[in-house]
Amino acid sequence: MKLLKQFWWILPLAFIAFYPVTLAGGSPYWSGLLIFVGIYVILTVGLDLLMGYTGQISVGHAAYFAIGAYASGILTAKYGFSPLGAMVIGMVLTGIVAWALGRPVLALKEYYLAMATLAFNEIVVTLIIGLEWLTGGASGLRDIPSFSIFGLVLSNHVHYYYFVWAIVIIVIACSLAVVRSPFGRTLVAIHSDEVAARAFGVDTAKYKTRIFVLASVFASMAGSLFTHYMGFLAPDDFGVLTSINILVMLFLGGIGTIFGPILGAFFMKLLPELTYQIHDYELLLSGLILIIVLVFMPKGLFGIFTAIWEKMFAKADK
Amino acid sequence: MKKFFVLIILCSVFVIFTGVGPIMAQTKAPYKIGGIFPLTGYLSWLGEYKKKGSELKVELINKAGGINGRQLELVVYDDQSSPETGSRVAQRLVSKDGVIAMIGTASVPISGAVASIGNRYKIPTIIGSGYEVDSKKDHFVFNSAHKTDFAVERPFEYFKGKGITKVALLMPIGPLGELGGGLARKYAPKYGITIVGEERFDVKAPDITAQLAKLRTLGPQAVFSFCTGEPAALVARSMAQLGMNIPVLVSHGNANPGFLKLVSNVNIPILVPAGRAAAPESIPDNDPCKRVILDFNKAHQQKFGEPANYYSAEMVDAVDIIAAALKVVPTADGEKLQDAIEKTKGLVGMNGIYNFSTTDHHGTVLQDMMVLTVKDGKWQVLLK
Amino acid sequence: MTDFSHIVQFFFSGLTSGSMYALIAVSLVIVYKVSLLICFAQGEFFVIGALAMVTLVSKGLPMPLAFVLSILISTVLGALVQRMLIKPIQNAGIGNLIVMTIAISLTLRGAALLVWGKESHILKPFSSGAPIPVLGATLQPQVLWIISITIVVLIMIWIFFEKTKLGIAMRACAENRLGASLMGISTDKAALLAWAWGSGIGALAGMAVAPLLFMQYGSGVMPMVKGFIAVSIGGLSSIVGSVVAGLLLGTVEAYTIGLISSKFSDTIVFSLLMVVLIFKPSGLFGKG
Repeated sequence: MKLLKQFWWILPLAFIAFYPVTLAGGSPYWSGLLIFVGIYVILTVGLDLLMGYTGQISVGHAAYFAIGAYASGILTAKYGFSPLGAMVIGMVLTGIVAWALGRPVLALKEYYLAMATLAFNEIVVTLIIGLEWLTGGASGLRDIPSFSIFGLVLSNHVHYYYFVWAIVIIVIACSLAVVRSPFGRTLVAIHSDEVAARAFGVDTAKYKTRIFVLASVFASMAGSLFTHYMGFLAPDDFGVLTSINILVMLFLGGIGTIFGPILGAFFMKLLPELTYQIHDYELLLSGLILIIVLVFMPKGLFGIFTAIWEKMFAKADK
Repeated sequence: MKKFFVLIILCSVFVIFTGVGPIMAQTKAPYKIGGIFPLTGYLSWLGEYKKKGSELKVELINKAGGINGRQLELVVYDDQSSPETGSRVAQRLVSKDGVIAMIGTASVPISGAVASIGNRYKIPTIIGSGYEVDSKKDHFVFNSAHKTDFAVERPFEYFKGKGITKVALLMPIGPLGELGGGLARKYAPKYGITIVGEERFDVKAPDITAQLAKLRTLGPQAVFSFCTGEPAALVARSMAQLGMNIPVLVSHGNANPGFLKLVSNVNIPILVPAGRAAAPESIPDNDPCKRVILDFNKAHQQKFGEPANYYSAEMVDAVDIIAAALKVVPTADGEKLQDAIEKTKGLVGMNGIYNFSTTDHHGTVLQDMMVLTVKDGKWQVLLK
Repeated sequence: MTDFSHIVQFFFSGLTSGSMYALIAVSLVIVYKVSLLICFAQGEFFVIGALAMVTLVSKGLPMPLAFVLSILISTVLGALVQRMLIKPIQNAGIGNLIVMTIAISLTLRGAALLVWGKESHILKPFSSGAPIPVLGATLQPQVLWIISITIVVLIMIWIFFEKTKLGIAMRACAENRLGASLMGISTDKAALLAWAWGSGIGALAGMAVAPLLFMQYGSGVMPMVKGFIAVSIGGLSSIVGSVVAGLLLGTVEAYTIGLISSKFSDTIVFSLLMVVLIFKPSGLFGKG
């Protein structure tokens, strides 16, 4: 039993590893769905690092999703770059942007910070629409090739699924490492009382900027993965509404837990599967579900999960 | 000898049963066609028309006995006016529902996302938006909507006839604006028109008089605003507010009764390009499309209490095109079906007579588009 | 042909959108002043107020009556939302509260979709009349209504918060929560009233602006974002500041469109917002 408690993560890992053959039954549709889920897990986990651990509100995370996506799209479709190279360039570009924004923006508090992040999201989207000659504008960017690594083309769904989830697992492992490190503990300290942290000599701006860069780079990676899967890009998918969706996934799953966002992404991306017959009700339902979670389960889905888990082991340890 | 005969009979019985089984399953199993429409989101108001039109057409075909003895089944999903959702439901239709063809989508980016899926999985896809199909790259994609070029060329032809040479562009921010602006500049020289200026506006803005005031200083004789629905009405109303009594050309998407209501008290000339389906009474009797349109309108009126319109027409024709191709390719094999559609000639639809080819995946011609104007709350034909 | 009518028109265009932003900004600030919460659902009260009025008018009610009833409906709705959904989690972190208002926004929008459908609805202007010509430019009469309503609202707010016992108590709550509750002022009641005020004014904004727009279930998102921008520029703590900021925003927008670029006007406006936030974080009129 103790072994199970320590190695519980093997179960979800096995699920992910065998999913395409078991539940998905080799069908590209179901593999495809989990590819979208994986991409949003990366986005949400990044946001958790920023909001959940460091307490910095961001209502514009999709901006970095967009920068990575369009960098990959433009470089591969228009200039023939290799997808891997384009992705790395996208990550570097996003990192630089986040670094430049970090200090001035993260110095803001609460609502003002939220507004600034929202404003930047809008700036990115309006620039994508305005610079048509580069981005295809509102009509979109076409003919984006599939992802390939050194000549190995990943156009098969199942192959791409494993590639995406390999990256997801690396991101999760990375985030867990950050969170459990002294750097991570400092972030939490900044979250609970920034003034005190500064009094202790912590350069809070530096820490906040660094985690912001990390979260944005993750988002950029997710953007590149998204681009090569869709084969087509349009600014509609990167606006404030998308940022709000990511926020909702974060809270639904359980903020500040790294694993919560995973549940949140799964739930929000799979909800449409249940409601596609009653699509008109989907908006209302997602709002109601979120309300219920916020009022009755503030720790999110992961909170419920851990509560049940604790109960199980409390009984066993007796 | 007896043994031999028994053997023969047994074998025949065996063959008949095993053969009939699958054949029977085939005659029972319907042809599944995927329908992707914006039923929620900012395009939802026209998604409903497309859905109703396609569902009714499928119903009519089934009532008449189906195709090759099999029924058609339309599997409808909402793309929520989002390209990502469009891509996702297209995937679902192809892998989970096993459709043999797809129709739908109402905007250029969504069409792009769905076209990507159609090409990837070799499933013939007939879209109905301003998306321009490159028959080489979008091998499996066809477009039953009139080429947007027609919606610019015919009105420009009208302008030329009226001596209008200076046109200002007031384009909405978004794919329609980009499309309209690009086409306007492409065709202006052909019809002796000079584009005096171009401004963009946010379709959700409460006021666009700033842009119009700026354009007015350039002395235009007409304004071209390629937008649909409320934004088009806003442009017309704002021009009236500023006393700009010159014609305003809007998109062919406005050829529906809802738009007439929106501009009911606006007194400047409004030009709307449209296919025959928008004004059936004006079609000459010897036009084969007239019969098709009137018959469908009757059925639509009976079922939904209103006649079909330009949006429904596109999707009705899409269903027709697939049905015709299925008659040639009963196995519904993707590649063969695509080939059959590409070879379709002389198919009389509501939007015109379709002639596809390896270089033309749109099928309709310039003359299929008319220019209408709003007069006393009704449509009046300006250019046939 | 150097007539400056178009420059005047830019001003009127700015006034038209600005008056809308100003009124929404006021509704946001009122809620914030008392309960320290920015409501992401304000756009939905905007829409519900307008669509409720459309429905009542179409059922034959005279306009003034429909007007009053719609305000009442939204006010009650706002109060209900506060009591049932905000109060239970009022001590949760600010992130949770923000997301709750987002959840409320999704729910109300989803409900509006089911009640009023996807089509757009038209509301007649409050007074019939041709656009008013001034210096070669024109202004829609409805804009004068919006401005008048804003002025009336400001006066009412001033009277309430400065002159009535309840109002003064609410202000005390905003300025010092602990102190106020020690004095026996019910912070709960104050929060409830603040939300009622906020949703009522939000609905008012929707009804006043509806004749200029075409309202449908999703029409509240853009006005709300613009309202936020106005509040951020004007400062969260100043009601008058938010009105000025709203008008300023509308005017800057219009002049940017007219004189610089209509394609990049949003980019420019949002960039200006970021500049204001970074260099004067508490807004142009706010106090640190």
